[in-house]
Amino acid sequence: MVVEVKNLVKRYKELIALDHFNMEVEEGEILGLLGPNGCGKTTAINCILSLLNYDKGEIRVFGEKMTPNSYDIKREIGLVPQEVSVFENLTVIENTDYFCGLYIDDKNKRKQYVEEAIEFVGLKDYTKFYPKKLSGGLKRRLNIACGIAHKPKLIFLDEPTVAVDVQSRNFILNGIEKLNDEGSTIIYTTHYLEEAERLCKRIIIMDKGRGLVSGTNEELKSMISTSEKIVVGFTEIEDETVQNMKNILHVMDIEKAGEDYIIKFENGFNNLANLMNFIEENQLVYTKLQSQLPTLNDVFLELTGKELRD
Amino acid sequence: MTVYKYFIKIALKNKWTILGYTIIFFSMSLISGSGATEREPKFMETRLNIGIIDNSNSELSTGLKDYLEGKHNMVDTIDDEDYIKEQIFLERADAIIIIPEDFQEKVINKEKSIKIYNDDRKIESMQIQNQINKFLMFANATYEDGKFNLANVNLALREKAKVKLANNNREKNNSINNEWFRNYYNFTSYVIIAMYIAIIGMVMTDFTDENIDSRMKISSKKFLNFNMELYLGQLTIAAIITSIFILGSIVLKGKYIGEVDFIKYVINIIVFSFTILCFTFFINNFTKNKFVISGLATVLSLATSFISGVMVPQEFLGEKTLLLAKFFPTYYFVKVNGTTVNSFSDISFNIFMQLSFAVAFILMGLYFSKAKQKA
Ligand SMILES: Nc1ncnc2c1ncn2[C@@H]1O[C@H](COP(=O)(O)OP(=O)(O)OP(=O)(O)O)[C@@H](O)[C@H]1O
Ligand SMILES: [Mg+2]
Repeated sequence: MVVEVKNLVKRYKELIALDHFNMEVEEGEILGLLGPNGCGKTTAINCILSLLNYDKGEIRVFGEKMTPNSYDIKREIGLVPQEVSVFENLTVIENTDYFCGLYIDDKNKRKQYVEEAIEFVGLKDYTKFYPKKLSGGLKRRLNIACGIAHKPKLIFLDEPTVAVDVQSRNFILNGIEKLNDEGSTIIYTTHYLEEAERLCKRIIIMDKGRGLVSGTNEELKSMISTSEKIVVGFTEIEDETVQNMKNILHVMDIEKAGEDYIIKFENGFNNLANLMNFIEENQLVYTKLQSQLPTLNDVFLELTGKELRD
Repeated sequence: MTVYKYFIKIALKNKWTILGYTIIFFSMSLISGSGATEREPKFMETRLNIGIIDNSNSELSTGLKDYLEGKHNMVDTIDDEDYIKEQIFLERADAIIIIPEDFQEKVINKEKSIKIYNDDRKIESMQIQNQINKFLMFANATYEDGKFNLANVNLALREKAKVKLANNNREKNNSINNEWFRNYYNFTSYVIIAMYIAIIGMVMTDFTDENIDSRMKISSKKFLNFNMELYLGQLTIAAIITSIFILGSIVLKGKYIGEVDFIKYVINIIVFSFTILCFTFFINNFTKNKFVISGLATVLSLATSFISGVMVPQEFLGEKTLLLAKFFPTYYFVKVNGTTVNSFSDISFNIFMQLSFAVAFILMGLYFSKAKQKA
């Protein structure tokens, strides 16, 4: 186990930011911490890294208790903080060298590491640029380079793609997969569920300082009762017919969304075929027919009664 | 030594601040240096025939009259423009001065107060204006609680005169050089305060920025080493700046170092420099706001220089001003520069006071940094 968090409680005065939060991270995996704004993702990371004092709980990293003086453990950890945290008065290469230098004393080794990190985030053409001359996306890449240049075994990335254009985002996500392929264990926080779905082997869904559920993508989706949604639009349909649709095998619920109907099915096969049969029998004419497998948003919705993103 | 290296690197990126203050400093010391020693004596010795019409009859106007009477021959005149012009044209008088009724008020409000008629053909008559200005400037510096301290003004003017009169002997050269070194080193206090806060203080805000600080805290760099490197960086920058000014005095007046207490000036500036470094430490623990810090650099350097006798000699400052000045190390720094040293005990108290301030600043800084950690 690379990281073990047990019953972590963190309060800011009245506000309970973490409420008996648990987390386990295994070597070599990408763990996603998924949750809405203010649910406690950053607080959890800061507690694990001993940046914050906590009220209760136990934190072990690489099997050892984490304290502010655990310098040997810290050497193996990299953080890409949520806020871009670099010197405005240093260039891309100077910034990377400075933060790498907080870990690596050997000059030659550091020079090589810094070059690799800059290459890795694709800032090779910008080494002499000051941060204020970089676009938002490039600044985020610099933020990443500063966090990973010392080749840590365990990397925390706190919403590294917020406010980033599509191109930079893909670049960053591919990079994270590459870091993982090279053997780093990764903890990735986000409130973009598509990112968590694409990137993470395992996901912890958080809300209000609590871990609601954890598991693989598939495990999480199988936990909820809705397993398939079919969106269908008709030229004309009578209320009675809609009522009858509920009798199709496995149908749980039907919602009207504008002109369309969302039909929710519980686990089962041939849902679409059964619906087609019903349409034929009732001689209905459809304008639209779409099957959707459940998303993590559905999971979140069912667990908390609200959407992950507003 | 990454932290040290980058501290220096960022500090030196403030090259315009460094260059700016250095240029201000050296042009000021060049201007004041050449002016004091060359221009004035040429006019000084000429006695002129002047007339004074005193419509004010106040303490201040009488003082001014006494001062001018000591320097020139008085001629009678009457308050009539045609008559005065005639007197000057016929060279019966070199200059006629008219002191207005509301003379004191105008001086206090720094308005132009005196009307002078002089003979343009006689270049010496120009010195009258200069002498009056000097008298009024000193008088204004002693103004406090609605009163001028004319005794102090006379003392100061006489002191200057003494320097001028001993024109040809070595002693005079000696005191002129001493005065130059004294003014030069006094003035360093202004740039040292301004530069340390503006450069070292600003660079420190970069390093103590919350986000950047977090990155340092989670790294495997030991906290103690990190701080040591930062302080070493500060000392280096302070040493560079101090050396520039010591070297500057050697370049400008190197051949006279033997005649003045050069070692005194050097020890004093090093002590002062260290004290201000401690002051910067205090400021950095007190605030991280860049605007506040750059404001402090400008305001504090000017204000403390003014009240401590850098701009106007301490003798001419009011008691209350000096009392206030005693709460900042510049006062003691200026005192040492103005002391003739026979043994170390002559300056030991004022050196001790500066070092006490250094300790106080460190303690205050630590207090604020602890207070912040708790919050
Ligand atoms: N220094 C602080 N003082 C008081 N409250 C804080 C502090 N930092 C965070 N909080 C509160 O703690 C809660 C959790 O914040 P946190 O930053 O961990 O959330 P997050 O999941 O990282 O959110 P986001 O997605 O917006 O980054 C929030 O309600 C926040 O307002
Ligand atoms: Mg956050």
